[in-house]
Amino acid sequence: MPGDHRRIRGPEESQPPQLYAADEDEEPAARDPTRLRPVYARAGLLSQAKGSAYLEAGGTKVLCAVSGPRQAESSERGSGPAGTGGEAPAALRGRLLCDFRRAPFSGRRRRAPPGGGEERELALALQEALEPAVRLGRYPRAQLEVSALLLEDGGSALAAALTAAALALADAGVEMYDLVVGCGLSRAPGPAPTWLLDPTRQEEERAAAGLTVALMPVLNQVAGLLGSGEGGPTESWAEAVRLGLEGCQRLYPVLQQCLVRAARRRGAAAPP
Amino acid sequence: EDLRVDGRGCEDYRCVEVETDVVSNTSGSARVKLGHTDILVGVKAEMGTPKLEKPNEGYLEFFVDCSANATPEFEGRGGDDLGTEIANTLYRIFNNKSSVDLKSLCISPREHCWILYVDVLLLECGGNLFDAISIAVKAALFNTRIPRVRVLEDEEGSKDIELSDDPYDCIRLSVENVPCIVTLCKIGYRHVVDATLQEEACSLASLLVSVTSKGVVTCMRKVGKGSLDPESIFEMMETGKRVGKVLHTSLQSILHKEESLGPKRQKVGFLG
Repeated sequence: MPGDHRRIRGPEESQPPQLYAADEDEEPAARDPTRLRPVYARAGLLSQAKGSAYLEAGGTKVLCAVSGPRQAESSERGSGPAGTGGEAPAALRGRLLCDFRRAPFSGRRRRAPPGGGEERELALALQEALEPAVRLGRYPRAQLEVSALLLEDGGSALAAALTAAALALADAGVEMYDLVVGCGLSRAPGPAPTWLLDPTRQEEERAAAGLTVALMPVLNQVAGLLGSGEGGPTESWAEAVRLGLEGCQRLYPVLQQCLVRAARRRGAAAPP
Repeated sequence: EDLRVDGRGCEDYRCVEVETDVVSNTSGSARVKLGHTDILVGVKAEMGTPKLEKPNEGYLEFFVDCSANATPEFEGRGGDDLGTEIANTLYRIFNNKSSVDLKSLCISPREHCWILYVDVLLLECGGNLFDAISIAVKAALFNTRIPRVRVLEDEEGSKDIELSDDPYDCIRLSVENVPCIVTLCKIGYRHVVDATLQEEACSLASLLVSVTSKGVVTCMRKVGKGSLDPESIFEMMETGKRVGKVLHTSLQSILHKEESLGPKRQKVGFLG
């Protein structure tokens, strides 16, 4: 039954009590800066999507689904001034539409679904990182829709979403040059800060700077890079990028095995 | 060979014209012309309530409007995507403690603070939007004059805000640590700074680095459909830092020179 708003006047805005609570979390325990949390990845779990993947790393849970290729809605769409060169081939290329969503219960405070600027920014980051890997030239006038849903944010959410999206695209049978593996990093504030690989949510919240790198492991090309904060001089950022790239290379065999298992499952399930 | 189509070297900027205090109704404004790119930024300071997580600080709000005069692709809603992308990038580069002294924008903690609404207008698009916009934002923030207010407390405890009578009594923001964006476009094996529209069309991937005058990097982002080699990323970061420092020193000298000319200086306006 909806509350009786006319007689019971509550405040217009309400906040969860945790905001006002004293910070009881102690400093996160010192840990090896290059440790990666164990990852569980599974592809091919949604029956209604062409390709899908679920990735769990520590407390971060991401579900990604790919649908398409289907006919692009409008063939001429202004993509900004940089897209004006090269008429015929650019218009015939396929398009990748990415959508990043956070579940309302994914973080500490409830966020209503149209999340606004941040989700659009992360969706754009997803698109920019996946485009180098997908052979869009093979899908003329078509569009592929990738939608990532963050079920729980336990740190390095964008990196997990990137990896899940690449797995889902591979599971959907989309032609790709290589998989895209994402890795998150954060730099703790303080006098002698080091970059920590694969931060947890507490480490990310206290961080002075954060970085997400996306790598195509076999080609050794960086597909995506997004970082901000008080990272310090360029040498510090360069060290962070190197650490992230190493982390991506270490994660790659897990994803290969996941795709092999999914292919076997699909082969076994196919009717003889 | 270090020679581009228009005769510049790989690290040279086009001729930049900066003029501040062009719009009289704002707290601060600036206009930047970088080749064919024309940007107008207006800053308005308004009083509001501080954010809940940061009760002692004011904040900045960015809005980017891609006018339909800039290119025909921006007609109707076409420019909205680019506008939100630029606004999100601006939020990212200012998202750290040292860029702007937000504590100076606080009037009384938890109750009142100054909110700076930075509105960017894209009048003409000639390539290299991010750099020009960041230069214009820095110049506009330098030019911003926020009126000094005092909080008077009554015996009953009710607070009253009093504006000082002298219209020239205002606080100025320190723009020492405000970063500027340097976009490095990868064309072939080399990278160029300040790309024109044609050069942007030839480049598959660019790295956007936001540098302060001390060489501290606050944001890094890869833009575009292509991928980057890790080695070229490190080279581009170094170039970005070098070019950024030079850009900052020349911008500071121009702004100080313009300020020292005082109210008698010749205002070029929009037709010059």
